[in-house]
Amino acid sequence: MYHVSKAYVAGAFALQDVSLDVSRGEFVFLTGASGAGKTTLLQLLFAAERPSEGQIVVLGRNIARLRGSAVPALRRRVGVVFQDFKLLRQRTVEENVGVTLDVVGMPRREVRAKVFTMLKQVGLQHRRYHHPVSLSGGEQQRVAIARALVGEPEILLADEPTGNLDPDLSVEIMDLMMSAAMRGTAVLVATHDVGLIERYHKRKLHLDAGRLVEDGPAAGRTE
Amino acid sequence: MRRVAVILAILVRSALRGMQSSAVASGIAVATIAIALLLIGAFALVVVNMQGLLDRFGQDLQITAYLEEGLSKAEQSLLAERVSTVEVVGRVRLISKQQALERFRATRGGAALLEGLEGNPLPASLDISLLSERRTPEGLGILNKALDGLPGIAEVAHGQEWIEGYARAASLARVSGYALGAVLALATLLIVSNTIRLGLYAREDELEILALVGASRTFVRAPFLLEGTLQGAIGGVLALGVLWAGFHLLVPQLQYGLAFFLGNTEPRFFAVAESLKLISGGAGLGLLGSLAALMAWRS
Repeated sequence: MYHVSKAYVAGAFALQDVSLDVSRGEFVFLTGASGAGKTTLLQLLFAAERPSEGQIVVLGRNIARLRGSAVPALRRRVGVVFQDFKLLRQRTVEENVGVTLDVVGMPRREVRAKVFTMLKQVGLQHRRYHHPVSLSGGEQQRVAIARALVGEPEILLADEPTGNLDPDLSVEIMDLMMSAAMRGTAVLVATHDVGLIERYHKRKLHLDAGRLVEDGPAAGRTE
Repeated sequence: MRRVAVILAILVRSALRGMQSSAVASGIAVATIAIALLLIGAFALVVVNMQGLLDRFGQDLQITAYLEEGLSKAEQSLLAERVSTVEVVGRVRLISKQQALERFRATRGGAALLEGLEGNPLPASLDISLLSERRTPEGLGILNKALDGLPGIAEVAHGQEWIEGYARAASLARVSGYALGAVLALATLLIVSNTIRLGLYAREDELEILALVGASRTFVRAPFLLEGTLQGAIGGVLALGVLWAGFHLLVPQLQYGLAFFLGNTEPRFFAVAESLKLISGGAGLGLLGSLAALMAWRS
């Protein structure tokens, strides 16, 4: 990201002059108060929004100049965990996770095998035929994480991925994302969870009123 | 290739799921298409049968030229020969007075009518067939003109006016069918389009999620096009089924009335190709309706 600003209304910046660089395999926490611009920053990275100013290069593609028809191909390489989960209510857990693989035309048998392995990793294999409405908030969050990870993305963006999880489960999910980073995925996690940030001692980007005010290791820091 | 098949299977599943999730709206769309196609199909069936009768008239078209009394056999043969040289004529057969009498006697009730008559009241005649490619009103016109100038011809009978009137009626039925079809197709398009649009709005969240995980525009939209096409095809099959049942139930009851319109021609149902046209017409209507809905949704 090079000097990126985003204004939804002229003059009112959600992000202002943000520059940062995240490498493959890097694990980064994104912190800041509500409204600081964390979600906007993540949305810019998977082309859900376009920058008002500046350039964003994701996986070699310039988001500011990306054609609409090229967006799906980019998104297939980026896994996203949304704060509100964004699960398909009328589909089963298995189908929700598999949708990431369906859109690339993966044969059904392969999809089912991959989804089962993924659900096992998030501890939900026994719930694969259930619908999201019958799951707890934490379980729904784990489905969202499984969906983001099952396609083995090159970038993983997670917006408060442990917000509805108990501490033990939060650690398990973070470990899962950490292992994705170890396999080469660049992971960017927006979170308020100070405990997690301190536990993992990873790079932390801190946003304040749309500006990047801190970029450095998290060790020993508190918010 | 395999990937295309996999994606196609996913899209079909998604379309079926869409129909299932909005079963009532889909049912209404299917019923609307079926009713529209039923009316269009009924008109088409009438036109097809009228056209069939016209075609048969064309094939059987035979003109009879009655000869004046008192012509010698040689004069009659000469007349037949001259008629056979007219450019539109295929075959000429001379029927003598005696042959005409025998022929009439052989018809039902003919012998009874001839009883009590003295002598042979029937004239000799020429049975004239046109060349198959000249069996048209123009061909008939050329023959009439040629016969008009020939001495020895008393009267010509061919039922041309009746055929032309019937052809006009068939053409009117066809044009009315097109007009009715256009109005019904438009109404059906609107209903299908609105049904699909309701489905689009109801599933907006789902479509957003699909787009967020990297689904292409085609992947998101194709199930709706398939859904509309499928609804149309089902409507077409239903319409065809009802028409078929109606045809086989009603035709025996209406045989005397139909005989008035169709003469001895046996009423027929649609051939396989015509049936497929009706079904694909329904599918086409469904496809157009969903295309219209998608265009409106985008705007």
